[in-house]
Amino acid sequence: MLYKVIHTTTYTYFEPVSLCHNIGRLIPRSFDTQVCRKSIVTISPLPDVKDEYEDFFGNQVMYFAIQQEHKKLTVTVSSEIEKITREDPEINLYHDVSWEDVKELARQSTPAWLEVHQYIPETIFTAATPEIKAYARQSFKPGVAMFDATHNLMQRIYQDFEFKPGFTTISTPLSEVMKARKGVCQDFAHLAIACVRSLGLPARYVSGYLETLPPPGKQKLAGADASHAWFSVYIPYRGWVDFDPTNNQIPGSQHLTACWGRDYGDIAPLKGVIINSGPHKLSVSVDVKRMS
Amino acid sequence: MTPDVKQDALFEHYSSIPHFYDELLDLDGKPRPNWQTFFQSFSKLDNDEIINRNQDMLRLLKENGVTYNIYDDPAGLNRPWKLDLIPFLINKEEWQKIESGLTQRAHLLDLILKDIYGSQELIKLGLLPMELVYNHAGFLRQCRGIKQPGKRNLIFYAADIGRSADGRIWIVNDRTQAPSGSGYALENRMAMARILPEFFNGLKVRRLSTYFNALRNALSEIAPAKNPNPRIVILTPGPSNETYFEHSYLASFLGYTLVQGNDLMVKDNYVWLKTLSGLEKVDVIWRRVDDVYCDPLELREDSQLGVPGLLQVLRSGNVSIANPLGSSVLENPGLMPFLNNIAKHLLGEELIMPTIASWWCGQPEQMDYVLENIQSLVIKKIYKDSTPSTSVDGNALSAKQITELKEQIKAHSSLYVGQEKINFSSTPSLINGRIEPRNALFRSFLVSHNGGYIAMTGGLTRTTADLGNFVISNQLGGISKDTWIISPEPGRTLNVRKELERNYAGAHSGALPSHTAENLFWVGRYTERMLGNARFLRTVMQFIAEGNNLLADNTDTQSEQNLLMSLTHFTTTYPGFTDDDDEKFENPWKELRDVLFNGNRMGSLSYNLAVFKRAVYAVRDHWSTDTWRVLRSIEEEWVLMASAAHTGHHRMLSALDNLITSTVAFIGLNRESISREQGWVMLDTGRKMEQSLLLITMLLSTLVKKHDDQTEYDLQESVLVSNESLVNYRYKYRAHIQLPLVLDLMLLDPNNPRSLVYQLDRLKAYLSQLPKSQPGHTLAEHERLILEAYTLLKLADKDELAKPDNETSRYENLHRFLTNMNTVLLAIPGAVSKIYFKHAETQKQLFSAGVTI
Repeated sequence: MLYKVIHTTTYTYFEPVSLCHNIGRLIPRSFDTQVCRKSIVTISPLPDVKDEYEDFFGNQVMYFAIQQEHKKLTVTVSSEIEKITREDPEINLYHDVSWEDVKELARQSTPAWLEVHQYIPETIFTAATPEIKAYARQSFKPGVAMFDATHNLMQRIYQDFEFKPGFTTISTPLSEVMKARKGVCQDFAHLAIACVRSLGLPARYVSGYLETLPPPGKQKLAGADASHAWFSVYIPYRGWVDFDPTNNQIPGSQHLTACWGRDYGDIAPLKGVIINSGPHKLSVSVDVKRMS
Repeated sequence: MTPDVKQDALFEHYSSIPHFYDELLDLDGKPRPNWQTFFQSFSKLDNDEIINRNQDMLRLLKENGVTYNIYDDPAGLNRPWKLDLIPFLINKEEWQKIESGLTQRAHLLDLILKDIYGSQELIKLGLLPMELVYNHAGFLRQCRGIKQPGKRNLIFYAADIGRSADGRIWIVNDRTQAPSGSGYALENRMAMARILPEFFNGLKVRRLSTYFNALRNALSEIAPAKNPNPRIVILTPGPSNETYFEHSYLASFLGYTLVQGNDLMVKDNYVWLKTLSGLEKVDVIWRRVDDVYCDPLELREDSQLGVPGLLQVLRSGNVSIANPLGSSVLENPGLMPFLNNIAKHLLGEELIMPTIASWWCGQPEQMDYVLENIQSLVIKKIYKDSTPSTSVDGNALSAKQITELKEQIKAHSSLYVGQEKINFSSTPSLINGRIEPRNALFRSFLVSHNGGYIAMTGGLTRTTADLGNFVISNQLGGISKDTWIISPEPGRTLNVRKELERNYAGAHSGALPSHTAENLFWVGRYTERMLGNARFLRTVMQFIAEGNNLLADNTDTQSEQNLLMSLTHFTTTYPGFTDDDDEKFENPWKELRDVLFNGNRMGSLSYNLAVFKRAVYAVRDHWSTDTWRVLRSIEEEWVLMASAAHTGHHRMLSALDNLITSTVAFIGLNRESISREQGWVMLDTGRKMEQSLLLITMLLSTLVKKHDDQTEYDLQESVLVSNESLVNYRYKYRAHIQLPLVLDLMLLDPNNPRSLVYQLDRLKAYLSQLPKSQPGHTLAEHERLILEAYTLLKLADKDELAKPDNETSRYENLHRFLTNMNTVLLAIPGAVSKIYFKHAETQKQLFSAGVTI
């Protein structure tokens, strides 16, 4: 399956900005089930300084600075992403691994496990309160398979929490999300990760896009899609397995991965510092098109 | 008296403490050899002389402005530094061992740092647990792969060293981020050498200069692209930081520019210093800011102390920083149990100096040990954070606290370490004129040098405030000691003077950082505000005091009331005398005392003094020792006066006299001692600006309203008096005081240094001296404004201004003129700030938090 994703971010400033520094994590990764064939970044006004490098988690990062006065900044990333369906070779084997086994296996310090290991400690975004730990325990009962427990956790979050845009911001702590049982995709991903990590198990945060289909008989609106986030857990003999608690789905060919890290803070799509005190307006549009 | 007897008397209060190593006495109770020599010199001074020298020491440190800031200190910032007359002695053999142990340790930590941010072989080989690194708040993933020139990544290293009861020396703490204390060590040595030169007799005390020369070289060597004359700056969090004194002290000692984050900016992938004359490229940053605060773009987003984009410049190799960002990962007590094996692996040798026995709870058996023995251990977190439990003595905890701590350890085992408790050795200290034992901890400083490390031959020793209180902390009021390494100077030391000359010759002439420029501008303004207020207060108080003596008639009362009201307007201490409270007029002294001494009241003299002090401290590296002495006496005398409960009129007046004299002395000294031309221009610009505005305010509040002749006369005279122009008036006009002539003298006379035209003349000259920001002939905003003000003044006519409007009973022309003038002048600071004080621009974060599905 081949997709084209156009992600446009626009900042409009009330007063001219003479200097800005920005960091973007907008170029989709390539891995076993996904190939980013090409990614074209267009920045207006043209940056005076630009750099690209790989970060600690293997994501493609771009840095740019604009040193001329501007009242509007537009960053457009246009990517072609191919999804590859993966055969599940040892389905029976990995389905049998209990979450306690995973915890035990994670003690090894082989290079492969070291890579996984870094996703176990909690972070500020994924700090587990006693309530969160208790919530996790209901899915991670003794002897349950890692896959099944995580799947159950995903389902419960989907059922127990209301998707409500605007209720939270990126700085809303999980304890509040837990109390109000409301939030958006990044809250649900963080919550799930906090649950999994509270048991000493590895989980990571995934940013990306989701192809949405228009209601039957209607034309799909351009820019109506949005960036999305979900989580992933590590299961021996299988590798990282994604779960989308917002949609109660195991991500397949419709989920297009951009970056991954320990939490949102590691992989914010675009952040920057400007020298200006006036207000600004942000608009984001995402367009996911199936090409074949 | 023979020296022996004296010596006995001296040690009357000194006795070895059981279970502690005694630095002074050996097991037979005899002083160790170096101490014997030292106390021979010491005992030559009699008791009174010791007290005198101690006082001299305190005074010197105070006058030099040596301070240590205590956070949330009710007594305010800037607590005076405490230095014991008795140093801490280390003998030659011991030093050799310490030196080799520390050098090895620095070497080892450097290799570990490189490995952590590089290939992580130590983790892969199982020599270093991953959690110790990855769970440490100082492990900055953003910094992986950043390389700087030079063989060593770790440029600065400091270690706290203590001696246990069996005489062995241990490393207690590693400091690898931005070690503080080397400047205090230097200042301590300077003070000792000055106050107690004879103490050095007979002892070969190693000098500190080798360390500072090595430090210069170390910083120059990491400059990108082998720049032969790199610009090096010291990045400080600012005047409220606890060790700010040291930052500014080292900056002036080494000739580096002291900057705050907003003095720097990133452009074209380089770091630049914002100066009055534009941007200057920075090659090396010696940081005293914690690493996570250094770049709000990639590290802590809420930091106002850093430079947005700094990490990217480091990544590009266009600037270097010492210590490198991310080096705080080594300030990690959890490393201790693993260091010996790592040393064997990386260096092929065992640790020369042992580390304190430590148990890292990330390993199950070790955690069990810690939980079982919690009361006999010190429990530390692997990194410092804001929680109070970063380091606690298990023995000091209640049963409930122990249960809580145990729960914490079990929940986050990899974050905790148990450490053996060490009773630090006791050393002789001078306490209230008596020699008593105190527990000591010694901080040693190392810097990279020729591919290896060199240790300061000296250091900073701190002792406990009370005997047996084992927490040694400046925050808790410990006392410092100079540290003497008693050993002949080895031949390899360089010719210090020659080297210093070479370094100074290459120093940058130093355009003024815009932040410093602004601070100097404000020092100028606050100086004049304080002076102007003090003079007007004095004039009013004298008038009232004399009036009372003469049993005033009615007109005097009217003058008095008008003066008091003007005073409130002038000092902006509303409601003051403007609220028609008859009682206040009947006994104005209570209110006047408040306007003088109530530091919590905006506009009071105490308040202005505090604001002035803050501005002065913010640019403390600009004041000479003499200037500090004056500043100290301003402060001390004022505090003394303010604390006198029932200050009489005369005391209040003499307090004002002293304040005025000292402030004038401060201005005079600056003229002579501020070497940098631009610095003086900024300070004087501030003064002239403030003088102009104050004069206008005074005239507005005293002369605009029409009164009977006697009252007008009194008010006009007061204006002349408080502007020190009465003598001038009499000499020039030889006439009765009258409004047109007063206005002539105070506004238009270019020969009167108090007149408005005089101030504007200077302002105009200063403002035209500022570097041009735009080529061409268009006037900058501030040039246009000063020209407008100047023209307005030149076109004014004294007789026109002095024409009353009988309908309103006011001098309307004068009022209009002064108001216009005020508006124009008030716009100048803003215009100057916009072009020259660029650091004032605010930074703001952008997020694209638009995740909505």
